[in-house]
Amino acid sequence: MDYINGMIALIGINLLAVLGLSLLTGFTGLFSFGHAGFMAIGAYLTVWFSMKLGVNFYAALLLAALITGGVSLVIGRITLNLKGDYFIIATMGFAEAIRLILDNFQAFGGARGWPGITTHTNVVNVWLINLIGVVILVNIIWSRHGRNFKAIREEELASQIIGINVFRYKMISLMISAMYAAVSGGLFAHYMSFIQPKMFQIIKSTELTIMVIFGGMGSVSGSIIGAIILTALPQVLLSLDAWRYVIYGAAVIFIMIARPQGMMGGFELTPAQIKGKLAALKEKRTKKGVA
Amino acid sequence: MTTFLQQVINGLSIGSIYALMAVGYSLVYSIMNFSNFAHGGVIMIGSYIGFFAMTVAGVPFPAAFAAAALGAGLVAVVVEKAAYGPLRQRKAPFLYYIISAMGASMFLENIVLATIGPDFRTFPNVLGSKPFQLGELMIGRLDLAMFLISSVTLALLVYFIEKTKTGMAIRATSYSERASALMGVNTEKVIFIIFIIGGALAGIAGILFGMKYTVFPTMGNITMKAFIAAVFGGLGSLPGAVLGAVLLGIIETMTSAYLSSTWRDLIAFGLLIFILVVRPSGLMGKNNEDKA
Amino acid sequence: MSLLELKHVTKQFGGLTAVGDVSLSLQKDHIFGLIGPNGAGKTTLFNLITGVYKVTEGEILFEGKPIHNREPYQVAGAGITRTFQNIRLFKTLTTYENILTACQYTSDYSFFDAILRNRRFKEGEKLLKAETEELMELLGLSERRDMVAGNLPYGLQRRLEIARALALKPKLLLLDEPAAGMNEEETLKLMELIRYVREKFSLSVLVIEHHMDLIMNLCDHIMVLNFGKTLAEGDAAAIQSDPRVIEAYLGEEVELGA
Repeated sequence: MDYINGMIALIGINLLAVLGLSLLTGFTGLFSFGHAGFMAIGAYLTVWFSMKLGVNFYAALLLAALITGGVSLVIGRITLNLKGDYFIIATMGFAEAIRLILDNFQAFGGARGWPGITTHTNVVNVWLINLIGVVILVNIIWSRHGRNFKAIREEELASQIIGINVFRYKMISLMISAMYAAVSGGLFAHYMSFIQPKMFQIIKSTELTIMVIFGGMGSVSGSIIGAIILTALPQVLLSLDAWRYVIYGAAVIFIMIARPQGMMGGFELTPAQIKGKLAALKEKRTKKGVA
Repeated sequence: MTTFLQQVINGLSIGSIYALMAVGYSLVYSIMNFSNFAHGGVIMIGSYIGFFAMTVAGVPFPAAFAAAALGAGLVAVVVEKAAYGPLRQRKAPFLYYIISAMGASMFLENIVLATIGPDFRTFPNVLGSKPFQLGELMIGRLDLAMFLISSVTLALLVYFIEKTKTGMAIRATSYSERASALMGVNTEKVIFIIFIIGGALAGIAGILFGMKYTVFPTMGNITMKAFIAAVFGGLGSLPGAVLGAVLLGIIETMTSAYLSSTWRDLIAFGLLIFILVVRPSGLMGKNNEDKA
Repeated sequence: MSLLELKHVTKQFGGLTAVGDVSLSLQKDHIFGLIGPNGAGKTTLFNLITGVYKVTEGEILFEGKPIHNREPYQVAGAGITRTFQNIRLFKTLTTYENILTACQYTSDYSFFDAILRNRRFKEGEKLLKAETEELMELLGLSERRDMVAGNLPYGLQRRLEIARALALKPKLLLLDEPAAGMNEEETLKLMELIRYVREKFSLSVLVIEHHMDLIMNLCDHIMVLNFGKTLAEGDAAAIQSDPRVIEAYLGEEVELGA
């Protein structure tokens, strides 16, 4: 795949994981630094299904997502009762444990990884899957379920009092975000043609969370913009991975201090609004033309 | 029996390093109520400072040691001023601090990676290699040094916190920032001091860890062990952090010896999960329900 | 049978006994007042009833069935809702959205319905909208429907919190210091609102307050708590003349009440 297409595919892969994380962090208010773990599970499972068991690529993605969702429920059962800090450390711990297990699981290649993966991922299917992902996410959010998530983020205690089963909703939020991460991982594996446990370190989880925050919590369009900018820009500007992360790190601190609400500040850029703004722009131009 | 005791001794030495890390981390947690994820970065920088002091500047071990402690303390304070202080002024929710900490951690780790490079560095062997013998038990010189240095440092810390006026201010602030501020405690000064101390502890842990193993930019990830130790012992409790760390060190060494080293890290995480499920407040933490 | 019954309820936090052996009986359609100095355990009692805290000892029965140690959302389902001392509205959501979120309690379309945007979803949303509009109208909040809750004037915020609690069609409403920060005029309006709400929604009320006017004029029955224990119980007249109550509040012999 050439450079531009590769970039577009990579943006799409990150975006899918960010969309899922947006539901958990941006809308439900739970911070996780363990989603690289779900990506890893999704990646390895997809590869196992598609390469070892000869399952169709898309079916493999779906199966991997479902299984990862199940795993996330187990993890959620254990961790979602914990307070903020503890939950974060627990998610980090689980992600690292998953990576360690994969490092030592020789059937999947262990630390040396799994090479020779068919590159099923291309620009078309990445963006098609993302489109489906966005529609599902938006439909959930603009419904009573989405409002429940938001309520939990705003005031957990009050949410309980008005009858929201907070624990159940947190579990569902975690599960959906894990499933999105899993599909993202599967697409990633079939794009890189090679995966290794060390591609799924804590820093990957941090990167995803930063994209959500950069775009603004509680905004799907923000997450989309965040994923696009933070994937494309550094790749374009900097050749060395390390410098990219240096900028990320500094940028995050800066955002937290200067504009913690992120780019969109919790607002959505809806298609209706875009249409409206374009129409207004057109009007201005025609007015100028007449005058 | 001797192998068992041998492993306990080995475990104590790594445990003592974990203790330094865990205490530094717990100190910040007890005052500011958030997890300073940048701690790992400070540990790593302390290690590099010590390394370059000894190799490039050629200073003897004690001076390098002091440089590491001081340097790391300084870095910790700079991180505080840049990443956390402004948030404090805006009374930001604690989650902002965590994100900022992650950013700081990413920044520190990668600036070293980008400038100094990813190579692993080994400390010169300054202590000699002949281990001490205690009957049938062998105690490595470095291990003994680590244990002694850590113990002395922690003892000094305990003295400082329990017996000095500043220490009392720190304890007061850990109970209630607002109340102690009203009583005339200079909260900013307290925060400054705990970051210097926490940073110094991290620096010491860093240089010792670097000497025992190697120095590399992502070594800060060892701080995950510090988290586990601190949670195990009870987040916010300093004695708990020490206890948790020592126990973790011993458990890890036992696992390494009797099972395999691949299991070592997994057991550490297993311990974390076990504690979070069974007794999240840790060994010495208080069992507190939030007052709604 | 009483609507709500507390039997020898005790709550301990470590060494501190916040509530010690409190027994209480609330009758249907009554307005029951809970008063006492700060720290007496009143809010703790609310938290115990609504399942936020678990009892250390004792039982809490609602309509004869035990509800102590149930999850808060289950207690809400049984028919008890509340407001909070320091208003816990969804501050960044609008008036409309605050009430809507609470009305959702009776809505039951699934995630799949939402994703597929099918008929169940559309009808569910229509119903929710209608219910929300109705409730806003009843409580005089329709004018400010699009205002962000955090920007509402204080009195209206309190009213919104009550509206939100009413969205669950409760049988018992717990009000935690609803008149806090209000002047005399606002307090009178609040009293009217509480009476109106009790009539219109045929519910019972348990209210914590420090505004003695409100308590004495509104409540059918009053209980005084001090240091987590019941100090006195009775109607307004009995409480006002009880020397123990007077001493607890003021530490000397002074006349209480209007």
